[in-house]
Amino acid sequence: MCFTQNFWSFLIGGIANGFLYALIALGYTLVYGVLQLINFAHSEVFMSGGFAGYFVLNAVIGNSHPSGVDSVLLVILGTAAGAVGGATIAYLLERVAYRPLRRRKAPRLAFLISAIGASYFLYNLAGKEFGRNAVSMPAAYTNGTVFTVFGAQVQTYYVVIAIAAMIMLLVLDRIVAATRLGRGIRAVAQDAETASLMGVNIDRVIAQTFILGGILGGAAGFLFGLSSGVVYTMGFTPALKAFTAAVLGGIGNIRGAMLGGLLLGIFENLGVTCAPTEWRDVIAFGILVLVLIIRPTGILGERLGRSA
Amino acid sequence: MHQKILRIGVPLVAVALTLGTFGGVAMASTSHSSEPTYTIAYEGPLSGGNAQLGLNMKYAVELAIRWANQGKTFGKLPFKLQYAEQDDQGSATESPTAAEALVTNSSVVAVVGPAFSGATKAAEPIFSAADLATVSPSATNPQLADEGWNNFFRVVADDNAQGPYDADYIAKALKLKSVYTVDDASSYGSGLVGALDTRLTHDGVKFTHQTAPGTTQCQAGTGNVQEYGALASQVVSSKAPLLFYGGYYCDFALFAKALRAAGYKGQLMSDDGSLDPHYVSEATLTVANDTLITCACSALQNNAEDNSFGTAFKQLAGFASGTYTPEAFDATNVIISVMKSLGSHVTRAAIVKALHKATYVGITKTIKFETNGNVSGKTIYVYEVEKGKIVELGSTLSLIKSS
Repeated sequence: MCFTQNFWSFLIGGIANGFLYALIALGYTLVYGVLQLINFAHSEVFMSGGFAGYFVLNAVIGNSHPSGVDSVLLVILGTAAGAVGGATIAYLLERVAYRPLRRRKAPRLAFLISAIGASYFLYNLAGKEFGRNAVSMPAAYTNGTVFTVFGAQVQTYYVVIAIAAMIMLLVLDRIVAATRLGRGIRAVAQDAETASLMGVNIDRVIAQTFILGGILGGAAGFLFGLSSGVVYTMGFTPALKAFTAAVLGGIGNIRGAMLGGLLLGIFENLGVTCAPTEWRDVIAFGILVLVLIIRPTGILGERLGRSA
Repeated sequence: MHQKILRIGVPLVAVALTLGTFGGVAMASTSHSSEPTYTIAYEGPLSGGNAQLGLNMKYAVELAIRWANQGKTFGKLPFKLQYAEQDDQGSATESPTAAEALVTNSSVVAVVGPAFSGATKAAEPIFSAADLATVSPSATNPQLADEGWNNFFRVVADDNAQGPYDADYIAKALKLKSVYTVDDASSYGSGLVGALDTRLTHDGVKFTHQTAPGTTQCQAGTGNVQEYGALASQVVSSKAPLLFYGGYYCDFALFAKALRAAGYKGQLMSDDGSLDPHYVSEATLTVANDTLITCACSALQNNAEDNSFGTAFKQLAGFASGTYTPEAFDATNVIISVMKSLGSHVTRAAIVKALHKATYVGITKTIKFETNGNVSGKTIYVYEVEKGKIVELGSTLSLIKSS
């Protein structure tokens, strides 16, 4: 009974959240694929994208009220700005927090600590520079109901997220499957040493992987900020959820991260149709544990090299 | 040449300064020998994320002291007053140090503050041991009055008072039969909405209650901001004509946006945690307009007395009077009023004793304290966002009467 009530509006909200999770989760999964470690500073890549998008939109929009084609262009511009911001920070992270450790063949825990340190540094820096209060993204479009599905209203914001995310996911899938860069990533993921013997520049591939993850994470930061505003702590929960989604789908598996993100977003939202809101995370993580008990490597299994 | 001037000039200036300083002290001690000097201190956040709220109060305390010294508020006083301050950043970890510093300063006879409930709870044992009276303009946690601190006073109603008055306002002034209540899982928000719910039942108003933890988009939150979308859908389908949010402006702004985006057309209402211009700027004008916000604090009224206070405050502080400014002014003045009645017998202990019996007509209300330090005669004020400005509509009681 409770499940059927508002089912469609919860599902639509869940899908939109899921797309965001998927975009962020890909950053974790790509890096895990090539380095077998979790980039815990990815939440700050997400945050940087949010701020980059915010500053660019603020400068462009000013006090105007864009609509129509302008809105579409502004969303594309903001997403691009977020992607550039995210990619820049992700690349810097690789150079400053990871590569020196890799050169010295540091143990895996050192990478973890280095990432956590970088994360603290970045979000505190953002808090100091950009203020501690959340700021709203200037309105690039007027949010309203675009169409209804079985009585559930689909807002402009959801449509924006879905379209932007689908385009990016498709392009990424093609890049990994069919380009030289993708081949490099898959080769390093499968067997780094052999790949380097075959002439693959490992450092370059790793840096490019970080940049790819940063593009998606930064764009997600902008899309997230469109409705929720940007603030220095914004990366924390979405990134944690996305990490969960990556594990759910099978860490290191690109399509797994997409699937995991969507499923987590939907589960979370549908869970609270029956239970009170504070059960949201309990339900989501309960399902995660169940899935992992049945399939310890996630829904689609591990390994970037094999399945993509 | 220049060096010569320096060689002679520097010692000369030094001598002149020394003479001047001593001369000044000597003069002061002769001309005011019968007039002792006492210090009223203020403790609150002066730095950190909550500094603005603390500054709203700091300058009110300074202004009250300045006016008292000028004989403006109480006529000629038999003593001179001084101002001192301690910054506790509104935090429970900083406030004991601040309290210790005030207690050991023997010229401090009473304290306005601490401003925040958590800070008050941590500092009050130290003040209490020293028998140093504290009058808080803004600490609203109900439990503070139950700790048995004889020196604790506050000039605002506590959170327990606010909830029931809000409920009565919903039931009797707005005349609604059902509402949706949401708290932010903080001790402040859940306590307030709990009290609201109890009173709603008593008033015969049906309600649905949900908890949505404050998010990491806002300070000290743990929740995920995306919870608001799903919750908003539930509020919409409940068809409740009013949504009450117990929490702070940052999360309320996000939730309000989600509600309007989901197509919720009902009335939005919140508490003093949302009484902040940031609510309007973050929720955007179209969303925030017509939101009702209640507070135990009152805005300055548009009368001559308040106007002169408002002007003087702005001159001193450099910004306009804000949340808890009038309360801080009253808190300081109630202390000065009992000091005046004590005349030449001003001690820390005597002030505590006298405050328990004090009656003072302030700019926010007539201040009398109950034995536990709570202010008696609780008044809750209703505000509304009108064209982006937060304006006071009146007290809940007067609004119920006139409806």
